[in-house]
Amino acid sequence: MALKEFKLPDIGEGIAEGEIVSWKVTAGQAVQEEDEFVEVMTDKATVTITVPFTGSIAELKCAEGDVVPVGSVIAVIDAGAAGAAAPAKEAAAPAAAAPTPAPTPAAAPAAAAPAAAAPAAFVQSSPGKVLAAPATRRRAREMGIDLATIAPSGPRGRVTNDDLTTASPAPAAAGGAAVGGHSFPPIAIPPAPEGRTETRTPFRGLRRKIADAMTRSKYTATHFTYVDDIDVTDLVKIRQEAKAAYADKGVNVTYLPFIMKAIVSAMKKYPEMNSSLDEVTNEFVVKGYYNFGIATDTDNGLIVPVIKDVDQKSVGELAAELQDLAQRTREGKVTVDDLTGGTFTITNAGNIGGLFATPVINFPEVAICGVHAIKDTPVIRDGACVPGKKMYLSVSIDHRLVDGATGAHWMNVVKDHLEKPYGMLLG
Amino acid sequence: MSLELVTILDKDGKAQRGKDPNLPPEELQQLYKLMCATRALDERGLALQRQGRIGFYLQSTGQEASHIGSAYALQASDWLFPAYRQPGILLLREIPYEKIIAEWFGNSGDTSKGRQMPVHYSFRQANFVSISSPIGTQLSQAAGAGMAAKARGEDTVFMTFCGDGGTSSNDFHCGLNFAAVYKAPVVFVCENNGWAISVPNDKQTASDSMAIKADAYGMPGVRVDGNDILAVYRVTKEAVERARRGDGPTLIETVTYRIASHSSSDDADRYRDKDEFEAWKKKDPIARFQRYLKHKKLWSEDFEKECVEGSRDEIAAAVKVAEALPPVGPETMFEDVYMNQTQHLKDQKKYLHDLVQQGGVGAEIGHFPL
Amino acid sequence: MTATNPQAGESKTGTKVMTMLEAINDAMKVEMRNDDRVVVFGEDVGKKGGVFGTTMGLHEQFGENRCFDTPLSECGILGAGVGMALYGMRPIAEIQFLDFIYPGFDQIVSEAAKMRYRSGGEYTCPMVIRSPYGGGIRGGHYHSQSSEAYFCHTPGLKVVIPATPADAKGLLISSIRDEDPVMFLEPKAIYRHAKDEVPLGEHTVELGKARIAREGADVTVLCYGAMVPVCEKAADLAAEDGRSVEIVDLRTLVPLDERTILESVKKTGRVVVVYEAPKTGGFGGELSAIIAEKAIEYMEGPIVRVAGFDTPFPYSLEHLYMPDPKRVAAGIEKTFVW
Repeated sequence: MALKEFKLPDIGEGIAEGEIVSWKVTAGQAVQEEDEFVEVMTDKATVTITVPFTGSIAELKCAEGDVVPVGSVIAVIDAGAAGAAAPAKEAAAPAAAAPTPAPTPAAAPAAAAPAAAAPAAFVQSSPGKVLAAPATRRRAREMGIDLATIAPSGPRGRVTNDDLTTASPAPAAAGGAAVGGHSFPPIAIPPAPEGRTETRTPFRGLRRKIADAMTRSKYTATHFTYVDDIDVTDLVKIRQEAKAAYADKGVNVTYLPFIMKAIVSAMKKYPEMNSSLDEVTNEFVVKGYYNFGIATDTDNGLIVPVIKDVDQKSVGELAAELQDLAQRTREGKVTVDDLTGGTFTITNAGNIGGLFATPVINFPEVAICGVHAIKDTPVIRDGACVPGKKMYLSVSIDHRLVDGATGAHWMNVVKDHLEKPYGMLLG
Repeated sequence: MSLELVTILDKDGKAQRGKDPNLPPEELQQLYKLMCATRALDERGLALQRQGRIGFYLQSTGQEASHIGSAYALQASDWLFPAYRQPGILLLREIPYEKIIAEWFGNSGDTSKGRQMPVHYSFRQANFVSISSPIGTQLSQAAGAGMAAKARGEDTVFMTFCGDGGTSSNDFHCGLNFAAVYKAPVVFVCENNGWAISVPNDKQTASDSMAIKADAYGMPGVRVDGNDILAVYRVTKEAVERARRGDGPTLIETVTYRIASHSSSDDADRYRDKDEFEAWKKKDPIARFQRYLKHKKLWSEDFEKECVEGSRDEIAAAVKVAEALPPVGPETMFEDVYMNQTQHLKDQKKYLHDLVQQGGVGAEIGHFPL
Repeated sequence: MTATNPQAGESKTGTKVMTMLEAINDAMKVEMRNDDRVVVFGEDVGKKGGVFGTTMGLHEQFGENRCFDTPLSECGILGAGVGMALYGMRPIAEIQFLDFIYPGFDQIVSEAAKMRYRSGGEYTCPMVIRSPYGGGIRGGHYHSQSSEAYFCHTPGLKVVIPATPADAKGLLISSIRDEDPVMFLEPKAIYRHAKDEVPLGEHTVELGKARIAREGADVTVLCYGAMVPVCEKAADLAAEDGRSVEIVDLRTLVPLDERTILESVKKTGRVVVVYEAPKTGGFGGELSAIIAEKAIEYMEGPIVRVAGFDTPFPYSLEHLYMPDPKRVAAGIEKTFVW
């Protein structure tokens, strides 16, 4: 809370006092700068004074009809919640006169920089001018963040490196493109209505990071999702056999190794499905290595550990590595090395339910493949309708880099390999 | 061609026949006392330096007659552009000991606010122009001041000093040349004490003397026995009167000897001949003049005591007072750079002030090898 | 390495602990033995061996023709030095205190610096001008000036400032061998305090190469001369606050080792430029400009200068005038919190 006293100004020509004709606001009311505030009558004129800054009315100090001397306090305004308080010495000027890309939102605790140690009030000397060290600016540019949208926590309204790591990326920023463009003010969620409850927790940590990553991915890569259903009847049989064969080695063989191998084969025919755009050098990078991240849900949220060099490992080796990874993930022993270097991601949501999905690409990869549940379903074989097993694969692809036709062809190869697994052995 | 060395006193301290200037007894005694006081001051200065109470000192031992005798020929309104080895002039012009000694300590009693090394005095009240370390710079300044006074029709005379080393400086040439061309009322006194730190005369010049260089500039040159105070006084008086008449500058070479080392940082024993030193000690100007006074019946034990011990006592008392004065404050560093303190100096003053407040800044550094 | 019979013969191996004074003296002895074109002259350099002792023994060892006293005339010393150099000698002119160089400034700037250029290379001036500079000895206005900026601002001159005994020797020998006029400025405050192992014999240090005096990760301090030990102490203070300081000893100001400076600054992202000379127009401004121009995107904070004040060098307040470890440490902190 930052309470600021509002004193009756000398409205003009050295008047000494004025009569409060009518209040245009009530105590507790949220007000915006320039809203009508109070009507005051002097022996020269009756004038309407407007609200000097955005906030809420804490207290009205006098009643309609009172005659008060110039300079006396007629109201107290709360300039805003923690993080938006203007310092006492700035009291004269309407301190938070900043225009709407409001680094000082009036009441938006959710958007406030987490755990900021009572930051000094942000007073913008000229709207639109952002203060930041050169290295911070470079990072902001590389991260695609519009500095003007960041709530600064440094002295004199400076955006710090910490502010960047906790900030949301600006919507308009594309890799390498000019930062700036369109930005929206943060939205405040009004408190629960009378008699109802809500819980509020600071939005930070891993969840925040995931949010940032998701936002960036969706706003940068132009997603399209292509879905196909795979007849896995034969694959199921093969997997059963493999599972039995590896059981005494203590390795649980799932469908994932087979899917990974199928994807690698398809990528070798359509290498652009294993690519990225280098935003710094503006180069289209087609990778000759195949590191697949496996999106994994943990108690803390989503992580994507990576299996490296999938093309060089056998189904059995992949199965073992996947198992080990799952174990280490459960034990919280996943290392930084495990989490980096991926070229493609597989997300396995099928165990929960659903038909197919529109997964979000693990940016800056070019595509992500969702693997869904295997379901018993009628299939057409040699003109007859027989029971079979089918599985959906949904692949989201960055349309900037890969066209629909390529994605479809790629999927056809994957599908072909999974429906006729022996084909993979033959190359 | 060798210029004749002007002398008055013989080795027994008697005035040569017909040459005695017959100064009034008070003046003779005053001259003696000034020389004794100057020597006492120099003794004290070096002692304080050796004790580490001041950082540096430079003595005029052996040259008391040379600079006091010459400055004595001036009027109070005449200006002095000294070098750094003429402390007797301060006493002649009645600068109190406390003020002189405060300069050594560089504390708040110092005219120059502790800014310069010891013996770099400035006393406007005595028309004694601020001293700097670079050699010879005062010579062309004296010429210029002389040019100014002459242009304004004033009869001020300007006396400036340098050493034998000073005659090799750029300013010796420019100063003498300008003064002569403009017929400025300047008296150039070159105290040739034989040594420019460790460099003897024969390395300093190939001329027969320093005085003869005056010829090249078109002014009279006079060579005088620098340890004969009466001779020094007489030739300087003539030069001062010449200048005041409007007849232009003179170069006077006082032939003397630097009994002490160049400064507290020098040890002349390392480069000087012991015999030469002993020979010159025998020609000590104070001892010579004492003999003269004795002949004139103007000397007594009591008088000697007054001159020597009396001076020492006064000086000791002044040291006590001067040393106790408070040091200069950090803010003084930023004053007098310009007449009006500029913004950037105000900012720097504040920056230092803040640092000093935080504490620890400015630990003692520096030693006294000079 | 231990000294193997350091007293004997021409080729010496090993090292010996020397002060900077001794190292400078040794450099001149080595080169005067090596090259009979090398001569040393100035005020009091002969019999007295210099007012600080840097030329001790040279007159004795090499004679009047190789090491001699001059009249009290900087103009004469430097002008004659230029003449000797033109005639094929390798003159080492000593100016007793850098504060006294001004009467000879004309010969340096108008003549020595421009000789090769104005003559199309026909005439060159391989002269070394040696002079003690800087404060710290209670020398007041005229025995303490750090006026290297005037010389850095004069194209045609090289400006070298050592901070360690080994560098003093190595840089001086390289300066003597250099074909261009070199201002070799000796930090008198550490003439005797700087004491370290110095290689015997012909030890050279390349001009134009800076030295990483201390490696660090968080902030770079650029300094030279007597400020190097000050910065080392400041770095110790900063380490107590968890700041890892990298110290770059420039060694040569002109030509400058920009590469080493920029590499360091880009690594740490923070820089403090320390020089005891008056702040305005000092060489530190040039360093700041280079960094601002070539490494701005790496700067995490302001480019801070810690320098002497814009006043004549004071006598009594010398200890407040010169940058000291606490003041430098405050400057270091300013690159983090400002």
